[in-house]
Amino acid sequence: MRLAIGSYTATSAAGVGLASLQESIEERRSGLRRNDLHGCDLDTWIGRVDGVEDVSIPPHLDYLLSRNNQLAWLGLQQDGMLQGIARLADQIGADRIAVIMGTSTSSIGRTEEAYTQLLPSGLISDEFRQPEVHSLHSPGLFVSEATGLTGPCMTISTACSSSAKVFATASRWISHGLVDAALVGGIDSLCMSILYGFNSLELVSARLCRPFDERRDGINIGEGCGYALLAREELLPEAELALLGYGESVDAYHMSHPHPEGEGAVIAIDRALERSGVSAERVDYVNLHGTASQANDRIEAHALARRFSEQTLVSSTKAWTGHALGAAGILEAIITLQAMRTGLNPGTLNCEQPDPELAFPVLTENVRRPINYGMTNSFGFGGNNATLIFGQIND
Amino acid sequence: MTDVDIVGLGVWCESFSNWDEFCSVLEGGSGAAGSALKPEVIAPNERRRAPLSVKMAVEVMDQACRMAALEPSGIATVFASAIGDMQITDYMCRTLADAPRTISPTRFHNSVHNAATGYWSIATQSHSPASAVSGYSNSAWIAFLDGAIQAVEENIPVLVAVQEVAPPAPLQPVYEWTHPFAAAILLAPVGYCSSPIASVRLSVSGDSIESPQLPQIPGIDLSGNFAARSISLLAAIEKERDAELRFPLSRYSSLSISIAPGCRTTRSGSWQRSPRQP
Repeated sequence: MRLAIGSYTATSAAGVGLASLQESIEERRSGLRRNDLHGCDLDTWIGRVDGVEDVSIPPHLDYLLSRNNQLAWLGLQQDGMLQGIARLADQIGADRIAVIMGTSTSSIGRTEEAYTQLLPSGLISDEFRQPEVHSLHSPGLFVSEATGLTGPCMTISTACSSSAKVFATASRWISHGLVDAALVGGIDSLCMSILYGFNSLELVSARLCRPFDERRDGINIGEGCGYALLAREELLPEAELALLGYGESVDAYHMSHPHPEGEGAVIAIDRALERSGVSAERVDYVNLHGTASQANDRIEAHALARRFSEQTLVSSTKAWTGHALGAAGILEAIITLQAMRTGLNPGTLNCEQPDPELAFPVLTENVRRPINYGMTNSFGFGGNNATLIFGQIND
Repeated sequence: MTDVDIVGLGVWCESFSNWDEFCSVLEGGSGAAGSALKPEVIAPNERRRAPLSVKMAVEVMDQACRMAALEPSGIATVFASAIGDMQITDYMCRTLADAPRTISPTRFHNSVHNAATGYWSIATQSHSPASAVSGYSNSAWIAFLDGAIQAVEENIPVLVAVQEVAPPAPLQPVYEWTHPFAAAILLAPVGYCSSPIASVRLSVSGDSIESPQLPQIPGIDLSGNFAARSISLLAAIEKERDAELRFPLSRYSSLSISIAPGCRTTRSGSWQRSPRQP
C-alpha cells in the first residue's frame, strides 16, 4: 500500500534540521571534521553534531539520559516535528500512532562510560543504573515518552539497515490495521565501540571519505537522527510524497563482508521494485549506501549495473554526513525526499576521480532534474539489506 | 485482530535443552541440566566463532523449523532481546576502557543485534527478510506481534526467536536474572501448513497490565529473565491448548493471545526432520 509521508526532519553533521542540511548540499559543504571526539585518539574524520552533550532532555525523562537520547531530543525539536506529531495525534489519537525506531548501538556510549567508572566492587555506580538505557530499546522508549505517542513501540537494530527497515515495518503495521500512522525514526551517536570496532576491521579512513573515488580507502563514522510520519493517505491530504515500496533481504554470505556479486542487494532492490510497481527505468534517482569502503562501492555499483541504465542518476551522500550506521537509512531516505521536493539531485561529494573499474557511473556534481521516483539503499553487517522507493503523490 | 498458526517451537536453557525436555519439566520432571549447547545447524568452524547468544538463538530456531518440517530458506526471521549480547558489550566496554585498539574484529562484528539472524541466514542459505528488534522487558510480545503481522501481510512463515543472556557482573544490579534463556516460535499464515500445533488470534488494547507470574520451573530460577516470560505462552500452548492470555506490550498497551488447539502434538515422535540442502 502507498503511505503518505507527513512531517519529516533530519539532524546530522551536515546540518541540524532540513534547512541547514539543504544548504550544505547546495553549497557542497561537508559536515565532516578531523576526529575531535573526547577520549578517542584515532586518526580519522568524523561526522559529529555540535553541542549534543549540552542538550537538556525533558526532566521527567532524566532516567533515560544518554548522548544518544540527547541527540534524539535535539532532532525531534527541528522542523516542527513535535508539532506535526501532536497535530496528527489530536486528529486520530496518540494510541493509533506507532513508534518504530532504528538504531545500531542504541545508548551503548552510556554503558562505555559506566565501565570507565566501575566501583571497587566491580559494579557500575548508581548514576549509571539505568536499565532501559543499556537496552537496545532505549531510543524507542525515549521517543515514545518524549512525544506522548502510545501506540505499539519497537526498536529495530539490524546494523546499518536499521532505520530503512522501520519504513517496511511501519508499512506492514499500517496496512494490517494495527495502527493508522507511524512515527519512524533512526538514531546513532558517536561512541568508542563503533570507532574502535570499525578501526579493528581496518575500514576507517584517515582522510575525508571518498565514495566511489578510485583512491577511496575507507569510511568516516558519523552520528545523526531522522524522523518521518507515515500514515494512510486520507489522513495526510496535503502530503506530496509517498512511500511506494520496500524490499528486505539477507546476503547469507558473511557477517561483515558483503556478497561479492551483490546478491542480497539485488534481491532487496528487486523486491522494492516489485512491491512499488515501479520499473527500474522509471527510477530517476538512487541515494546509495556508498560508504567509501573498497568492497561496498564496488559491489553496489555491480548490483546497480544489473538493474539500472545510466539515465538513473545515483550518488552517495556519505561525504556530507559520514556513515551514521543505524541512522543512515532514514537520513538518506530524507535526503532522497528532499531531492524529490527540490529537484536537486546531490552529486557525490568528494568523488574527484571516479573509479573507472566500477560497473556503474555515479553522479559527481549536483544536477537539477525533477524526480518522480526516488530510491535508497541500506546494507548492514550480518548481510542485512533494505531498499526503499518513494514517489510523488500527484505523479 | 491477527490470526496465525503456530507450526513449530523451540526452547533452550541450562535446565532443558529442547521441547521434549521442557514438556517433561512442565510435568514435574527434572529436565537435563548441563547438556552442552552444540547447534548442529551451523558449521563447526562457525560454531567455534559464534558467541553463546548466537548459539542459543540458532539452536531454538532450528528446533522450531524441524518441528514444523519446514525448509528454513523460505522463512523470515524476527530476533528479539532487551539487552542483546550483553556479554560482548561487557567485553567491548572493558577493552575500550583499557586498550581500545585491541578490540577483536570478530567480536566486534558479532556485537550487532542481528548477529544471530546473520549466522542463521548463512547456515540455511536464506535470503528471506531478517529483523532484530527490542521492546525492552516486553521484547517477546512486540516481536510475536510483529512476526504475526509479517506472516499475514507478506504471506510467509516467520520464525520469532526471543532470548536474554545472563547479564555481565557489572550490570547485575541492573537486571534481575542470572541464567540465559531462549525460545523460538514459528508462525505461519492460516492454512499454510496442513497440521498446525495451535491457531492463535492476537489483539492489542490500550491498557497497561503487569506481566503475569511465570510458572515455577524446578531447578532453575528464570524469574526476572525477560525472555523467559514467553514460558507462559509456551506452557499454555502445550498444556491448555484452549486459553486466553494477556501480556504487556508497553506501559500503554497490552497484547491478548487466544489459543485454539491445532491438530498435532509437539512431541518429537510425531514429526519428521525436514530435508536440508547440502
